Amino acid sequence: MMSLFTASLIIFALTLGAVFAYFAIKSRDLVKAAVFSAGQSAAFALAFFMLMAPDIVLAYVAVAIGIYTVVLLYVINKTERFEEAEE
Amino acid sequence: MRIKEVVTGIMAAAFLFVIIVTIIFGSTGWTPSTEIRPLAKFYLENCFNVFNRTWWTASPEAVTSMLWDYRGIDTYYETSVFFLAVISGVALFRIAEIKLGTKKKELGLSIIVKTVTRLIFPLIIIVSISVAFHGNLTPGGGFQAGAIFAVAPLLLIAAFSRHYLEENIKLTKDKCLTLRTIGLTAITLIIALPVLAGALTLMQNQAKPWSPFFSFPEVVGPVWTSGTLFFLNVAEFLAVGAGFTLLFLLLSIPEEEFKRVFGL
Amino acid sequence: MSIETFFQLYGYAALIVIIAISLYGIVRGASLIKKLIALTILGDTANAFMIYLGFRFGRQYPPVLPTLKPTPEQIAWFTSVAVDPVPQCLVITAIVINMAITMFLAFLIIQTYRLYGTTMVKRITKLKG
Repeated sequence: MMSLFTASLIIFALTLGAVFAYFAIKSRDLVKAAVFSAGQSAAFALAFFMLMAPDIVLAYVAVAIGIYTVVLLYVINKTERFEEAEE
Repeated sequence: MRIKEVVTGIMAAAFLFVIIVTIIFGSTGWTPSTEIRPLAKFYLENCFNVFNRTWWTASPEAVTSMLWDYRGIDTYYETSVFFLAVISGVALFRIAEIKLGTKKKELGLSIIVKTVTRLIFPLIIIVSISVAFHGNLTPGGGFQAGAIFAVAPLLLIAAFSRHYLEENIKLTKDKCLTLRTIGLTAITLIIALPVLAGALTLMQNQAKPWSPFFSFPEVVGPVWTSGTLFFLNVAEFLAVGAGFTLLFLLLSIPEEEFKRVFGL
Repeated sequence: MSIETFFQLYGYAALIVIIAISLYGIVRGASLIKKLIALTILGDTANAFMIYLGFRFGRQYPPVLPTLKPTPEQIAWFTSVAVDPVPQCLVITAIVINMAITMFLAFLIIQTYRLYGTTMVKRITKLKG
Protein backbone atom coordinates (compact mmCIF):
# COMPACT_ATOMS: atom_id res chain seq x y z
CA MET A 1 0.00 0.00 0.00
CA MET A 2 1.48 3.31 -1.02
CA SER A 3 1.83 5.90 1.67
CA LEU A 4 -1.08 8.27 2.01
CA PHE A 5 1.20 11.28 1.92
CA THR A 6 2.56 10.53 -1.58
CA ALA A 7 -0.84 9.72 -3.04
CA SER A 8 -2.57 12.76 -1.62
CA LEU A 9 0.18 15.12 -2.78
CA ILE A 10 -0.03 13.75 -6.32
CA ILE A 11 -3.79 14.20 -6.35
CA PHE A 12 -3.57 17.71 -4.89
CA ALA A 13 -0.98 18.77 -7.48
CA LEU A 14 -2.98 17.42 -10.43
CA THR A 15 -6.20 19.07 -9.23
CA LEU A 16 -4.42 22.39 -8.77
CA GLY A 17 -3.06 22.02 -12.30
CA ALA A 18 -6.57 21.47 -13.64
CA VAL A 19 -7.91 24.58 -11.86
CA PHE A 20 -5.07 26.75 -13.16
CA ALA A 21 -5.48 25.40 -16.70
CA TYR A 22 -9.20 26.22 -16.67
CA PHE A 23 -8.56 29.80 -15.57
CA ALA A 24 -5.78 30.20 -18.14
CA ILE A 25 -8.07 29.26 -21.02
CA LYS A 26 -11.03 31.25 -19.70
CA SER A 27 -9.41 34.61 -18.96
CA ARG A 28 -9.47 37.26 -21.63
CA ASP A 29 -6.50 39.28 -20.43
CA LEU A 30 -3.54 37.50 -21.99
CA VAL A 31 -1.05 38.51 -19.28
CA LYS A 32 -3.25 36.79 -16.70
CA ALA A 33 -3.41 33.73 -18.94
CA ALA A 34 0.40 33.58 -19.11
CA VAL A 35 0.70 33.82 -15.32
CA PHE A 36 -1.92 31.11 -14.81
CA SER A 37 -0.02 28.92 -17.27
CA ALA A 38 3.11 29.38 -15.14
CA GLY A 39 1.10 28.37 -12.05
CA GLN A 40 -0.09 25.24 -13.81
CA SER A 41 3.53 24.38 -14.66
CA ALA A 42 4.50 24.80 -11.00
CA ALA A 43 1.73 22.39 -9.95
CA PHE A 44 2.92 19.89 -12.57
CA ALA A 45 6.51 20.23 -11.31
CA LEU A 46 5.31 19.19 -7.83
CA ALA A 47 3.46 16.25 -9.39
CA PHE A 48 6.59 15.18 -11.30
CA PHE A 49 8.63 15.28 -8.10
CA MET A 50 6.17 13.08 -6.20
CA LEU A 51 6.10 10.69 -9.19
CA MET A 52 9.86 10.07 -8.62
CA ALA A 53 11.25 11.75 -11.77
CA PRO A 54 14.04 14.14 -10.65
CA ASP A 55 15.64 14.71 -14.08
CA ILE A 56 12.37 15.94 -15.47
CA VAL A 57 11.79 18.36 -12.59
CA LEU A 58 15.08 20.14 -13.35
CA ALA A 59 14.33 20.51 -17.06
CA TYR A 60 10.65 21.35 -16.60
CA VAL A 61 11.04 24.08 -13.98
CA ALA A 62 13.62 25.92 -16.09
CA VAL A 63 11.72 25.59 -19.36
CA ALA A 64 8.02 25.86 -18.52
CA ILE A 65 8.06 28.33 -15.61
CA GLY A 66 11.07 30.42 -16.65
CA ILE A 67 11.37 30.48 -20.40
CA TYR A 68 7.78 30.05 -21.63
CA THR A 69 6.45 32.83 -19.40
CA VAL A 70 9.10 35.32 -20.49
CA VAL A 71 8.70 34.48 -24.19
CA LEU A 72 4.91 34.85 -23.89
CA LEU A 73 5.30 38.22 -22.18
CA TYR A 74 7.64 39.40 -24.95
CA VAL A 75 5.13 38.31 -27.60
CA ILE A 76 2.20 40.00 -25.77
CA ASN A 77 4.22 43.20 -25.43
CA LYS A 78 4.90 43.25 -29.17
CA THR A 79 1.34 42.40 -30.22
CA GLU A 80 -2.05 42.85 -28.51
CA ARG A 81 -2.88 42.34 -24.88
CA PHE A 82 -6.65 41.86 -24.75
CA GLU A 83 -8.65 39.26 -26.60
CA GLU A 84 -11.89 40.24 -28.22
CA ALA A 85 -15.11 38.63 -27.04
CA GLU A 86 -16.98 36.08 -29.13
CA GLU A 87 -19.95 37.50 -30.98
CA MET B 1 -25.29 25.84 -28.73
CA ARG B 2 -25.87 24.50 -32.19
CA ILE B 3 -26.33 20.84 -33.05
CA LYS B 4 -23.08 20.69 -35.02
CA GLU B 5 -21.01 21.78 -32.04
CA VAL B 6 -22.67 19.31 -29.68
CA VAL B 7 -22.16 16.40 -32.07
CA THR B 8 -18.51 17.37 -32.61
CA GLY B 9 -17.96 17.56 -28.88
CA ILE B 10 -19.50 14.13 -28.27
CA MET B 11 -17.48 12.53 -31.07
CA ALA B 12 -14.23 14.07 -29.77
CA ALA B 13 -14.98 12.86 -26.26
CA ALA B 14 -15.70 9.32 -27.50
CA PHE B 15 -12.47 9.28 -29.54
CA LEU B 16 -10.44 10.44 -26.54
CA PHE B 17 -12.11 7.85 -24.32
CA VAL B 18 -11.28 4.98 -26.69
CA ILE B 19 -7.62 6.05 -26.95
CA ILE B 20 -7.21 6.38 -23.22
CA VAL B 21 -8.83 3.05 -22.40
CA THR B 22 -6.52 1.39 -24.95
CA ILE B 23 -3.46 2.98 -23.35
CA ILE B 24 -4.47 2.12 -19.79
CA PHE B 25 -5.18 -1.53 -20.54
CA GLY B 26 -2.53 -2.01 -23.21
CA SER B 27 0.63 -2.56 -21.18
CA THR B 28 1.11 -4.92 -18.21
CA GLY B 29 -2.57 -5.25 -17.53
CA TRP B 30 -4.16 -2.52 -15.44
CA THR B 31 -1.69 0.33 -14.99
CA PRO B 32 -0.16 1.83 -12.86
CA SER B 33 0.74 -1.55 -11.43
CA THR B 34 3.27 -2.91 -8.96
CA GLU B 35 5.43 -4.46 -11.69
CA ILE B 36 7.23 -2.72 -14.53
CA ARG B 37 7.89 -3.89 -18.06
CA PRO B 38 10.67 -6.39 -18.87
CA LEU B 39 12.46 -3.76 -20.97
CA ALA B 40 12.67 -1.43 -17.99
CA LYS B 41 13.94 -4.29 -15.82
CA PHE B 42 16.69 -4.95 -18.37
CA TYR B 43 17.79 -1.30 -18.39
CA LEU B 44 17.73 -1.00 -14.61
CA GLU B 45 19.67 -4.20 -14.08
CA ASN B 46 22.36 -3.60 -16.69
CA CYS B 47 23.11 0.10 -16.51
CA PHE B 48 25.62 -0.32 -13.69
CA ASN B 49 26.27 -4.05 -13.44
CA VAL B 50 29.94 -4.29 -12.39
CA PHE B 51 29.79 -8.10 -12.24
CA ASN B 52 28.62 -8.78 -15.81
CA ARG B 53 30.03 -6.07 -18.02
CA THR B 54 28.51 -7.13 -21.33
CA TRP B 55 25.86 -4.42 -21.58
CA TRP B 56 26.82 -1.95 -18.91
CA THR B 57 27.21 1.80 -19.37
CA ALA B 58 29.40 2.77 -16.37
CA SER B 59 26.82 5.24 -15.04
CA PRO B 60 24.63 4.55 -12.01
CA GLU B 61 21.93 6.87 -13.29
CA ALA B 62 19.51 5.04 -15.55
CA VAL B 63 17.99 8.07 -17.30
CA THR B 64 21.26 9.68 -18.48
CA SER B 65 22.65 6.33 -19.58
CA MET B 66 19.51 5.81 -21.63
CA LEU B 67 19.67 9.32 -23.09
CA TRP B 68 23.26 9.13 -24.31
CA ASP B 69 24.04 5.44 -24.61
CA TYR B 70 21.07 3.13 -25.07
CA ARG B 71 18.96 5.63 -27.06
CA GLY B 72 21.70 8.03 -28.07
CA ILE B 73 20.66 8.60 -31.69
CA ASP B 74 17.27 9.92 -30.46
CA THR B 75 19.04 12.62 -28.48
CA TYR B 76 21.23 13.51 -31.45
CA TYR B 77 18.20 14.11 -33.65
CA GLU B 78 16.44 16.06 -30.91
CA THR B 79 19.45 18.39 -30.75
CA SER B 80 19.26 18.90 -34.51
CA VAL B 81 15.52 19.73 -34.28
CA PHE B 82 16.33 22.43 -31.74
CA PHE B 83 19.05 23.70 -34.08
CA LEU B 84 16.46 23.97 -36.87
CA ALA B 85 14.25 26.13 -34.61
CA VAL B 86 17.20 28.43 -33.85
CA ILE B 87 18.04 28.77 -37.54
CA SER B 88 14.43 29.56 -38.42
CA GLY B 89 14.37 32.30 -35.76
CA VAL B 90 17.54 33.85 -37.16
CA ALA B 91 16.09 33.68 -40.69
CA LEU B 92 12.78 35.33 -39.71
CA PHE B 93 14.37 38.25 -37.86
CA ARG B 94 17.31 38.89 -40.13
CA ILE B 95 16.14 42.27 -41.45
CA ALA B 96 16.92 44.60 -38.58
CA GLU B 97 20.31 44.78 -36.95
CA ILE B 98 21.13 47.29 -34.26
CA LYS B 99 24.54 48.86 -34.64
CA LEU B 100 26.71 48.76 -31.58
CA GLY B 101 27.23 52.02 -29.77
CA THR B 102 23.80 53.54 -30.35
CA LYS B 103 22.78 53.91 -26.72
CA LYS B 104 21.02 57.20 -26.25
CA LYS B 105 19.89 57.36 -22.66
CA GLU B 106 20.20 55.49 -19.40
CA LEU B 107 18.51 52.14 -19.94
CA GLY B 108 17.37 49.43 -17.59
CA LEU B 109 15.40 49.24 -14.37
CA SER B 110 16.12 50.90 -11.01
CA ILE B 111 19.32 50.54 -9.06
CA ILE B 112 17.85 48.08 -6.55
CA VAL B 113 17.04 45.63 -9.34
CA LYS B 114 20.47 46.11 -10.87
CA THR B 115 22.30 45.38 -7.60
CA VAL B 116 20.30 42.25 -6.87
CA THR B 117 20.81 41.00 -10.43
CA ARG B 118 24.54 41.50 -10.11
CA LEU B 119 24.49 39.24 -7.03
CA ILE B 120 22.31 36.52 -8.51
CA PHE B 121 23.83 36.25 -12.00
CA PRO B 122 27.08 34.39 -11.08
CA LEU B 123 25.18 32.03 -8.78
CA ILE B 124 22.91 30.88 -11.62
CA ILE B 125 25.91 30.23 -13.85
CA ILE B 126 27.70 28.22 -11.15
CA VAL B 127 24.60 26.11 -10.49
CA SER B 128 24.18 25.35 -14.18
CA ILE B 129 27.84 24.32 -14.58
CA SER B 130 27.54 22.04 -11.55
CA VAL B 131 24.39 20.39 -12.91
CA ALA B 132 26.17 19.75 -16.23
CA PHE B 133 29.28 18.26 -14.66
CA HIS B 134 27.61 15.71 -12.40
CA GLY B 135 24.96 14.65 -14.90
CA ASN B 136 26.26 11.11 -15.21
CA LEU B 137 26.20 10.33 -11.47
CA THR B 138 23.11 12.10 -10.08
CA PRO B 139 20.03 13.64 -11.70
CA GLY B 140 21.14 16.35 -14.09
CA GLY B 141 22.64 16.43 -17.52
CA GLY B 142 23.35 18.58 -20.53
CA PHE B 143 19.93 19.83 -21.44
CA GLN B 144 18.83 20.60 -17.87
CA ALA B 145 22.00 22.62 -17.32
CA GLY B 146 21.53 24.51 -20.59
CA ALA B 147 17.97 25.47 -19.67
CA ILE B 148 19.08 26.70 -16.22
CA PHE B 149 21.94 28.63 -17.81
CA ALA B 150 19.55 30.40 -20.18
CA VAL B 151 17.83 32.23 -17.30
CA ALA B 152 20.96 34.30 -16.59
CA PRO B 153 21.19 36.31 -19.87
CA LEU B 154 17.43 36.75 -19.68
CA LEU B 155 17.78 38.44 -16.30
CA LEU B 156 20.52 40.66 -17.68
CA ILE B 157 18.43 41.71 -20.68
CA ALA B 158 15.49 42.57 -18.41
CA ALA B 159 17.36 44.38 -15.63
CA PHE B 160 20.06 46.10 -17.64
CA SER B 161 19.47 46.31 -21.34
CA ARG B 162 20.31 44.50 -24.52
CA HIS B 163 23.16 46.94 -25.15
CA TYR B 164 24.80 45.89 -21.89
CA LEU B 165 24.84 42.27 -22.97
CA GLU B 166 26.21 43.07 -26.39
CA GLU B 167 28.84 45.68 -25.53
CA ASN B 168 30.07 45.02 -21.99
CA ILE B 169 29.98 41.24 -21.96
CA LYS B 170 30.52 40.98 -25.72
CA LEU B 171 28.00 38.22 -26.31
CA THR B 172 26.75 39.16 -29.75
CA LYS B 173 24.55 37.10 -32.04
CA ASP B 174 27.45 35.79 -34.12
CA LYS B 175 29.38 34.72 -31.04
CA CYS B 176 26.39 32.74 -29.80
CA LEU B 177 26.09 31.00 -33.15
CA THR B 178 29.80 30.14 -33.01
CA LEU B 179 29.49 28.64 -29.51
CA ARG B 180 26.49 26.60 -30.58
CA THR B 181 28.34 25.23 -33.60
CA ILE B 182 31.37 24.33 -31.46
CA GLY B 183 29.13 22.32 -29.12
CA LEU B 184 27.45 20.47 -31.97
CA THR B 185 30.78 19.71 -33.66
CA ALA B 186 32.11 18.28 -30.40
CA ILE B 187 29.07 15.99 -30.12
CA THR B 188 29.47 14.81 -33.71
CA LEU B 189 33.19 14.11 -33.24
CA ILE B 190 32.60 12.03 -30.11
CA ILE B 191 29.86 10.06 -31.85
CA ALA B 192 31.91 9.43 -35.01
CA LEU B 193 35.18 8.55 -33.26
CA PRO B 194 34.98 4.75 -33.82
CA VAL B 195 34.28 5.26 -37.53
CA LEU B 196 37.31 7.52 -37.88
CA ALA B 197 39.46 4.90 -36.17
CA GLY B 198 38.44 2.15 -38.55
CA ALA B 199 35.65 0.23 -36.78
CA LEU B 200 32.11 0.23 -38.15
CA THR B 201 30.15 1.27 -35.06
CA LEU B 202 28.70 4.69 -34.21
CA MET B 203 28.23 6.18 -30.73
CA GLN B 204 29.95 3.56 -28.65
CA ASN B 205 30.46 4.14 -24.95
CA GLN B 206 31.67 0.79 -23.60
CA ALA B 207 32.88 -2.10 -25.76
CA LYS B 208 30.29 -4.61 -26.93
CA PRO B 209 31.26 -8.28 -27.53
CA TRP B 210 31.50 -7.92 -31.32
CA SER B 211 33.15 -4.51 -31.52
CA PRO B 212 36.88 -4.10 -32.27
CA PHE B 213 37.04 -0.59 -30.80
CA PHE B 214 38.13 -0.11 -27.18
CA SER B 215 35.78 1.09 -24.48
CA PHE B 216 36.26 4.56 -23.05
CA PRO B 217 37.65 4.58 -19.48
CA GLU B 218 35.14 5.12 -16.76
CA VAL B 219 37.53 6.63 -14.23
CA VAL B 220 40.09 9.31 -15.16
CA GLY B 221 42.14 10.04 -12.05
CA PRO B 222 39.68 10.80 -9.26
CA VAL B 223 36.87 11.79 -11.63
CA TRP B 224 34.12 9.43 -12.78
CA THR B 225 33.60 10.28 -16.43
CA SER B 226 31.55 7.19 -17.36
CA GLY B 227 33.14 6.88 -20.78
CA THR B 228 31.74 9.43 -23.22
CA LEU B 229 28.78 10.54 -21.07
CA PHE B 230 30.62 13.36 -19.29
CA PHE B 231 31.94 14.94 -22.47
CA LEU B 232 28.61 14.61 -24.25
CA ASN B 233 26.88 16.33 -21.34
CA VAL B 234 29.32 19.27 -21.35
CA ALA B 235 29.08 19.72 -25.14
CA GLU B 236 25.27 19.64 -25.00
CA PHE B 237 25.31 22.21 -22.18
CA LEU B 238 27.38 24.57 -24.32
CA ALA B 239 25.15 24.09 -27.36
CA VAL B 240 21.82 24.52 -25.56
CA GLY B 241 22.91 27.52 -23.48
CA ALA B 242 24.23 29.37 -26.52
CA GLY B 243 21.07 28.53 -28.52
CA PHE B 244 18.76 29.97 -25.88
CA THR B 245 20.85 33.13 -25.52
CA LEU B 246 20.68 33.66 -29.27
CA LEU B 247 16.88 33.37 -29.26
CA PHE B 248 16.57 35.90 -26.44
CA LEU B 249 18.89 38.34 -28.17
CA LEU B 250 16.68 38.16 -31.25
CA LEU B 251 13.45 38.47 -29.29
CA SER B 252 14.49 41.62 -27.44
CA ILE B 253 15.14 43.82 -30.45
CA PRO B 254 12.76 46.77 -29.93
CA GLU B 255 9.88 47.32 -32.30
CA GLU B 256 11.10 50.74 -33.49
CA GLU B 257 13.84 49.08 -35.51
CA PHE B 258 11.41 46.85 -37.38
CA LYS B 259 8.95 49.69 -37.94
CA ARG B 260 11.75 51.74 -39.41
CA VAL B 261 12.78 48.94 -41.75
CA PHE B 262 9.22 48.14 -42.83
CA GLY B 263 8.55 51.82 -43.41
CA LEU B 264 5.46 52.05 -41.19
CA MET C 1 -13.80 0.21 -4.80
CA SER C 2 -10.72 0.28 -2.60
CA ILE C 3 -8.88 3.46 -1.86
CA GLU C 4 -5.97 2.49 -4.13
CA THR C 5 -8.21 2.16 -7.17
CA PHE C 6 -9.78 5.49 -6.30
CA PHE C 7 -6.38 7.17 -6.33
CA GLN C 8 -5.42 5.62 -9.68
CA LEU C 9 -8.70 6.58 -11.33
CA TYR C 10 -8.61 10.11 -9.93
CA GLY C 11 -5.15 10.69 -11.41
CA TYR C 12 -6.33 9.61 -14.85
CA ALA C 13 -9.51 11.68 -14.55
CA ALA C 14 -7.61 14.87 -13.69
CA LEU C 15 -5.24 14.43 -16.65
CA ILE C 16 -8.12 13.71 -19.06
CA VAL C 17 -9.92 16.87 -17.88
CA ILE C 18 -6.85 19.01 -18.57
CA ILE C 19 -6.47 17.46 -22.05
CA ALA C 20 -10.09 18.29 -22.82
CA ILE C 21 -9.71 21.90 -21.57
CA SER C 22 -6.59 22.49 -23.66
CA LEU C 23 -8.14 20.96 -26.79
CA TYR C 24 -11.09 23.30 -26.39
CA GLY C 25 -8.67 26.19 -26.02
CA ILE C 26 -6.84 25.29 -29.22
CA VAL C 27 -9.98 24.91 -31.31
CA ARG C 28 -12.02 27.87 -29.98
CA GLY C 29 -9.35 30.34 -28.93
CA ALA C 30 -9.99 33.79 -30.30
CA SER C 31 -6.38 34.96 -30.41
CA LEU C 32 -3.29 33.26 -31.75
CA ILE C 33 -1.53 33.71 -28.42
CA LYS C 34 -4.33 31.91 -26.56
CA LYS C 35 -3.91 29.00 -28.96
CA LEU C 36 -0.19 28.95 -28.21
CA ILE C 37 -0.81 28.84 -24.45
CA ALA C 38 -3.28 25.98 -24.87
CA LEU C 39 -0.77 24.08 -27.05
CA THR C 40 1.89 24.27 -24.33
CA ILE C 41 -0.59 23.00 -21.74
CA LEU C 42 -1.50 20.07 -24.00
CA GLY C 43 2.15 19.08 -24.52
CA ASP C 44 2.92 19.20 -20.80
CA THR C 45 -0.14 17.13 -19.96
CA ALA C 46 0.85 14.45 -22.47
CA ASN C 47 4.26 14.27 -20.79
CA ALA C 48 2.65 13.97 -17.35
CA PHE C 49 0.44 11.18 -18.68
CA MET C 50 3.50 9.21 -19.79
CA ILE C 51 5.23 9.58 -16.41
CA TYR C 52 2.04 8.53 -14.66
CA LEU C 53 1.91 5.37 -16.76
CA GLY C 54 5.42 4.42 -15.69
CA PHE C 55 4.77 4.86 -11.98
CA ARG C 56 4.98 1.95 -9.61
CA PHE C 57 2.38 1.45 -6.93
CA GLY C 58 3.46 -0.10 -3.65
CA ARG C 59 7.05 0.94 -3.03
CA GLN C 60 8.82 3.50 -5.25
CA TYR C 61 12.36 4.71 -5.71
CA PRO C 62 13.79 7.10 -8.34
CA PRO C 63 15.76 5.30 -11.08
CA VAL C 64 19.18 6.33 -9.72
CA LEU C 65 21.45 3.76 -8.09
CA PRO C 66 22.57 5.32 -4.79
CA THR C 67 26.08 3.86 -4.60
CA LEU C 68 29.16 3.45 -6.78
CA LYS C 69 30.13 0.04 -5.40
CA PRO C 70 26.99 -2.08 -5.53
CA THR C 71 26.62 -5.63 -4.27
CA PRO C 72 24.36 -8.12 -6.16
CA GLU C 73 21.70 -7.86 -3.42
CA GLN C 74 21.61 -4.09 -3.90
CA ILE C 75 21.13 -4.44 -7.66
CA ALA C 76 18.30 -6.93 -7.10
CA TRP C 77 16.63 -4.58 -4.59
CA PHE C 78 17.04 -1.68 -7.03
CA THR C 79 15.35 -3.63 -9.81
CA SER C 80 12.42 -4.47 -7.57
CA VAL C 81 11.59 -0.98 -6.27
CA ALA C 82 12.71 1.53 -8.92
CA VAL C 83 10.30 3.41 -11.14
CA ASP C 84 10.29 2.87 -14.92
CA PRO C 85 13.09 4.96 -16.53
CA VAL C 86 12.00 4.54 -20.18
CA PRO C 87 9.18 7.16 -20.17
CA GLN C 88 11.45 9.65 -18.41
CA CYS C 89 14.01 9.50 -21.20
CA LEU C 90 11.31 9.97 -23.85
CA VAL C 91 9.76 12.87 -21.91
CA ILE C 92 13.04 14.82 -21.79
CA THR C 93 13.26 14.55 -25.59
CA ALA C 94 9.62 15.60 -25.86
CA ILE C 95 10.18 18.68 -23.67
CA VAL C 96 13.00 19.86 -25.95
CA ILE C 97 11.02 19.35 -29.14
CA ASN C 98 7.90 21.05 -27.75
CA MET C 99 10.03 23.99 -26.72
CA ALA C 100 11.57 24.29 -30.18
CA ILE C 101 8.07 24.32 -31.73
CA THR C 102 6.83 26.93 -29.23
CA MET C 103 9.76 29.25 -29.95
CA PHE C 104 9.18 28.95 -33.69
CA LEU C 105 5.46 29.68 -33.30
CA ALA C 106 6.20 32.73 -31.12
CA PHE C 107 8.43 34.16 -33.82
CA LEU C 108 5.76 33.48 -36.43
CA ILE C 109 3.07 35.25 -34.35
CA ILE C 110 5.22 38.36 -34.02
CA GLN C 111 5.86 38.40 -37.77
CA THR C 112 2.12 37.92 -38.46
CA TYR C 113 1.29 40.94 -36.32
CA ARG C 114 3.86 43.04 -38.13
CA LEU C 115 2.53 42.14 -41.56
CA TYR C 116 -1.24 42.07 -40.92
CA GLY C 117 -1.71 44.32 -37.90
CA THR C 118 -3.82 41.90 -35.85
CA THR C 119 -3.64 38.54 -34.09
CA MET C 120 -7.37 37.83 -33.82
CA VAL C 121 -8.31 34.88 -35.99
CA LYS C 122 -11.69 36.25 -37.08
CA ARG C 123 -10.07 39.40 -38.44
CA ILE C 124 -7.34 37.49 -40.26
CA THR C 125 -9.90 35.36 -42.12
CA LYS C 126 -11.63 38.51 -43.37
CA LEU C 127 -8.50 39.90 -44.99
CA LYS C 128 -8.12 39.63 -48.72
CA GLY C 129 -4.90 37.98 -49.89
